[in-house]
Amino acid sequence: MTSRIQVVAIVGSVWFLLLVLELVRRRKLAEEYSALWIVGALALLGAAIRRDLIDSTASWLGIYYGPTVLLLGLVVVVSAVLLWMSVVLSRQQSEIDRLTEETAILAAEVRDERSKGRRRAS
Amino acid sequence: MKVVRRILTLIPAHNEAANLPAVVAELRHRRADLEILVVDDGSTDGTTDVLERLGVRWLGWSRRRGVGSAVRAGLRYGSRLGFGVVVRLDADGQHDAADIERLLARLADDDVDAVLGSRYADQDAGPRFLKRALASVVSAVTRRRVTDATSGFWALGPRAVALLARHHPRGYPEPELHLFLSRNGLNVEEVPVGSRARLSGRSSLTATRLFAAAARVLLAVIIVPLRARVDS
Repeated sequence: MTSRIQVVAIVGSVWFLLLVLELVRRRKLAEEYSALWIVGALALLGAAIRRDLIDSTASWLGIYYGPTVLLLGLVVVVSAVLLWMSVVLSRQQSEIDRLTEETAILAAEVRDERSKGRRRAS
Repeated sequence: MKVVRRILTLIPAHNEAANLPAVVAELRHRRADLEILVVDDGSTDGTTDVLERLGVRWLGWSRRRGVGSAVRAGLRYGSRLGFGVVVRLDADGQHDAADIERLLARLADDDVDAVLGSRYADQDAGPRFLKRALASVVSAVTRRRVTDATSGFWALGPRAVALLARHHPRGYPEPELHLFLSRNGLNVEEVPVGSRARLSGRSSLTATRLFAAAARVLLAVIIVPLRARVDS
């Protein structure tokens, strides 16, 4: 029998999945960063449809209270996303550093050329 | 035949408008043959105007990115201009330009890639406990005697310039620089140099920055020796 919470979980998971896809469609979320969120939404949807999967996973892990598996999964996914975002942030900081340095060097080279030009003209 | 290389003096600066005229004047007095490049790391005290008046080469950006980024950009610019040797010194006037000669003389040895000007190599009154401890840790990891792991007075030869123009450590990089050069097989030597108090103003190293730098150095001590070597 389908319980109310199961319906809410299914609707919530589908809504979340659609939200991620819509963000990708509007180019507000890059494809490469959407993968983990899509996988997370599908996992939530799977768990909402097949509740017995939660119970069997809990039993396999030796967890007495089934819904704890959901919380555990959530913590793992969020931690993975945060770590991944830190990697992305570090990469972007490095790229910004390089771009800033290159821009400064180019500006200095332009200054040098103008100065040479002025010396030649005078 | 000894190759004659062009030498650049590189000065990273953050809010040192008050000190730069004296530092540049001393350099020109002592070594008029060296070109001077100042990298303005996001100063807010009108350093750019001072640099224009001084007539030195300079580059800079609007927000502070750290001395590591400033030195890396300066080395890259210098290496594109054909400078094979770079002398790096601080903008606060604590380094005596007369010591440059001693650094360059040591760098002229065939097997030396970089020379560090150490403030504590010759002195009985050594550095404070933390600096001494840091120097001991860096010495142990690099398997080379380092007496001053935080000195910003360096002479860099062609190999070091080429490598660091691409890979100079970020942030507060002096201790990490020792680890990085050692990891990549570059030979670093020390020569004793004098040390003076900064000419004016205060150091931009606050307690928070020092704490962050210390944490970063601790991590670097573990991580840098484990990293793969880089190609220059």
